[in-house]
Amino acid sequence: MIMIMNDLELIQNFLKDRVESPALDKIVPEATLTELGIDSLMLVELIFEFEDQTGLSVPTDIPPPTTVGELLQQLKDIRNQPATK
Amino acid sequence: MKKRRVAITGLGLVNPYGEGDVGDFFSRIMRGESAVRYHTLNDSPRPLALPLVACSHFNPIAVLGPPLANAMDRFSHFAMASAFSAWQDSGLEKHCNRDDYGVSWGTGSGGSLTIERGYQKLYFENKEKVSPLSVVLAMNNSAASHIAMQLGLGGPCNTSTVACASSSIAIGEAFRRIREGSVNLMLVGGSEAPLSYGVIRAWQAMRVLSEGDATTAYRACRPFSENRAGLTLAEGAAALVIEDWEHAVARGARIYAEIVGYGNTCDRTHIARPDSCGQVRSIAAALADGGLHADEIDYVNAHGTSTVEGDAIEIRSIKTAFGEHASKLAVSATKSMHGHSLGASGAMEALITTLALYRQVIPPTANVTEISADCKGVDHVINQGRTNVPVRAALSNSFAFGGSNAVLAFRSVSS
Repeated sequence: MIMIMNDLELIQNFLKDRVESPALDKIVPEATLTELGIDSLMLVELIFEFEDQTGLSVPTDIPPPTTVGELLQQLKDIRNQPATK
Repeated sequence: MKKRRVAITGLGLVNPYGEGDVGDFFSRIMRGESAVRYHTLNDSPRPLALPLVACSHFNPIAVLGPPLANAMDRFSHFAMASAFSAWQDSGLEKHCNRDDYGVSWGTGSGGSLTIERGYQKLYFENKEKVSPLSVVLAMNNSAASHIAMQLGLGGPCNTSTVACASSSIAIGEAFRRIREGSVNLMLVGGSEAPLSYGVIRAWQAMRVLSEGDATTAYRACRPFSENRAGLTLAEGAAALVIEDWEHAVARGARIYAEIVGYGNTCDRTHIARPDSCGQVRSIAAALADGGLHADEIDYVNAHGTSTVEGDAIEIRSIKTAFGEHASKLAVSATKSMHGHSLGASGAMEALITTLALYRQVIPPTANVTEISADCKGVDHVINQGRTNVPVRAALSNSFAFGGSNAVLAFRSVSS
């Protein structure tokens, strides 16, 4: 069974697997993804993990987030979108 | 311009026998112990079991940590582990930030596991996307790039993909760069991770893989033997640190042996069938490049894959290249024990040849019952290594599909 986690936990777990000595206490809204060690390829990996876990799709035409706050807001917006067929 | 001498100062590998170090590996090689096992692929769509050398004990997370391990294909895992080991053995600083140091790596098929996994997701699991890291995981130069990043090597960072000669060519090209003076030190070697369903099926289709079962797998690879029946695929890696001789002496490094020559030719005849003329030219070129007379060579680590045709042609080449000296020339094919790791095999055999010179011993060809009539005419070292023998200079042969030949010439420090 796939465990559904919230988006903050998703980022924390992702960083544990991808970054040496991740500063989990620094995952705050104003932190930039760059300073957490998340580059553009890793951001795509993170988004794919979100999609795999939620079954939702993140549009490719939205501007890439630069901070944790922007990323969390984008993921929240996608979760809150009405399901479409 | 005076040519610089090139010293070998570090050795590392992913030991196909288990957790042991380079010394453990070489001791087993000298005893004629086979690392080949009857291995079952667990993730294949149909049952597939055959004699292979699989580094099942190797845990990339434990060796490299999650961030590095998750950013690499298995062939890069092997590369990093062997490179770290060779670097440490050479007594160099972990992250040195040197632009006069570089990497020269060899691999035949690079990240084929990543590519195969991507195909599975797209074609069989009906997924629309693959990992965004797919390209950088699979590209053949990713192993060399990761080594350069981790060790801080800012000089040339190149990868040779020349089938089974890949890492011998990587070593030879790096040797030339150091000798000509454009760099001072190179981390060289090769890695391969070919044990996927698709890759093994492709090799089976060529009908060159030796068969066996759980009780006979260990002797599946028996080069030069009258009953030889094909090669045995292996995964793994080996790495060497090679450097300008004076640079090595200045920093007080242990010098295992010297690389003195490199021959590189093409048969220009057939894509898969080897040709003796091209091989002879490669051996002669390595001897000439190293300023060696044929009778100075005491040992040849043969390409010796255990195919019916290839082994006989290689022995014919050795006899032609060495003339009367051939009958006194010790020859062995260590693939009989560590298997054929394709693009990594040249580095694995360069490491073995280096230790043969350093310890003045000669490793054997294992699993030989009787030397085949078409492989006679040299001094075959079979089943048990020889100790306390003079080994002044040695060659390591790598003869690849595509007709590309690479021969490396080494000299003992004491000689």
